[in-house]
Amino acid sequence: MTIKETPIFIKGDIISLAPLNMDHVEIYARWHNDPRVRHYARHEFPIALEEVKKWFENPPEHGVREFIVFVIYHKEDKLPIGDIGLNHINWVNRNANIFAEIGEPEYWGKGIVGEASKLMIDYAFTELNLHKVHASVYNPNERSLRAAEKLGFEKEGILREHLYVDGKYVDNHRFSILRKEWLELKRKGESD
Amino acid sequence: MTEKKEEENGIFPFIEGDRIDLIAQSSQWINLICKWNNDPRVRHYARWIFPTQPEHIKRWFEPPSGRGMREAIFFTIYHKEDKRPIGSIGFFWINWINKNANVSATIGEPDYWGKGIVGEAAKLLIKYGFNELNFHKICAGVFNPNQRSLRAAEKLGFKKELVAREDLFVDGVYVDMHQFAIFKEEWMEQNK
Amino acid sequence: MEKKEKEKQKPAPFIMGENVDLVALNPDHIEFYNRWNNDPRVRRYSRNPLPRTIEDQKKWLFREQEGPKEHIAFEVWHKKDKRPIGIGGLGRINWLYRNANIWLSIGEPEYWNQNIGTEASKMIIEYGFNELNLHKIYAGVFSPNKGSLRCAEKDGFIPELIEKDACYVDGEYVDHHRFRLLKEEWLKLKKQG
Repeated sequence: MTIKETPIFIKGDIISLAPLNMDHVEIYARWHNDPRVRHYARHEFPIALEEVKKWFENPPEHGVREFIVFVIYHKEDKLPIGDIGLNHINWVNRNANIFAEIGEPEYWGKGIVGEASKLMIDYAFTELNLHKVHASVYNPNERSLRAAEKLGFEKEGILREHLYVDGKYVDNHRFSILRKEWLELKRKGESD
Repeated sequence: MTEKKEEENGIFPFIEGDRIDLIAQSSQWINLICKWNNDPRVRHYARWIFPTQPEHIKRWFEPPSGRGMREAIFFTIYHKEDKRPIGSIGFFWINWINKNANVSATIGEPDYWGKGIVGEAAKLLIKYGFNELNFHKICAGVFNPNQRSLRAAEKLGFKKELVAREDLFVDGVYVDMHQFAIFKEEWMEQNK
Repeated sequence: MEKKEKEKQKPAPFIMGENVDLVALNPDHIEFYNRWNNDPRVRRYSRNPLPRTIEDQKKWLFREQEGPKEHIAFEVWHKKDKRPIGIGGLGRINWLYRNANIWLSIGEPEYWNQNIGTEASKMIIEYGFNELNLHKIYAGVFSPNKGSLRCAEKDGFIPELIEKDACYVDGEYVDHHRFRLLKEEWLKLKKQG
């Protein structure tokens, strides 16, 4: 199967972020249904191809939206391997929730979410002009907890027994980073 | 005799309390609800930052589309002695898988502030949430200048779970959002 | 019965002021909005060279807005005389750049030259900065419109640029003056005032 040349929106090292592509509709549907992937991403309902196709319909006429999604594209392997984005975007309070999933399990554990998130957070602050980005991770997802801390997120607290996963309640760890904190981290990173 | 008249007036108590009942919302109060949502004193705490027209409220009364469960359930708070609706209370962001929901309460008539009415209405609503809707956890968010609500939450037995920093833009500054929660077991203990 | 009718007419204030309140647009008042929109004295500097029907206007003012709103409009309600006297708000709201265009039209000419325009626009400006978290509010005024130019000055707007011969009004080309007010500039004014 050949994948057409994907237009890059934000360039990274190992991966880049690209707009959703109608050609990849089946891949997105597969990720969202794959039990290994959806377990951490919390897609509890099966999603049909038609529903995925609907994401491409009716973009707002003008102005901004409440969610923005990118495809994570692996540069060397020339393959879409996951998606990342912001949702619950509140333009008055200027904050949003970041979410990410690597749909192809062979790419887990390679620091890809970390790189994609860095690009996404930078985009949120320097292009979308947001004030705060928050993230939710539930405790069994050790990888994501570590990734959040490495990125410089501060833990705001724990929402106990907030999610029902695999037959029991688990906690939801809330993290956030403010614009000034991110810019400070960047500045430190550049001067090192 | 009086009760029959109330039925004719479209007053259907769903949950009965001492000073107030929780009743089904009625389209006869669209203009009243509109007044509350626009009133600068009320909307400041309820965070209605856009002007509301009766048409927006009318839409709440349209039958829900699709076969899914509701994401929100709201009641009108009806003052029994004064025979008038004075506010709204209900659940939103209901997640039926995780079995949790957020509470929202607004007393639209400022003459009824400071009389413990929110406390009374919230008690009825929480009991309904745990006993009838089978929730596992009920959450509430309060932003810090709203001292009354912070005290009310603690009195009701809510425990603070986290503080979301600089989460809301209110009156020109960012304020923190305090998240509280109460669990079914805790509540049953308290209300043996 | 009469009391209920009166209550129906009384608007719910959204932002309260001294002489006027800003209230939500009222579909029952569409005739007022339409009359003002077509009134030659009012529309002269509002740039409505084409007649607008009530249906057109209804569609424009009450249009569905998906997602974050692009425009927010208010009715200006005179408190003492208990009547709608104008319409205004913020348009072209850009949530990314956090700026918006302020517009205001006092439709009843007997309320001109009484600082009512200044009072109403000050309330809209405060709403834009304090509630909508905007960074910049801009305004456009045509050169012959002395009333609005004075209002802009009193509100503390700073002239940004002049577009020469931007519009054709009353048989001649007129300039379009662009003004701006940044949040920090507005905060400074508040401190001084």
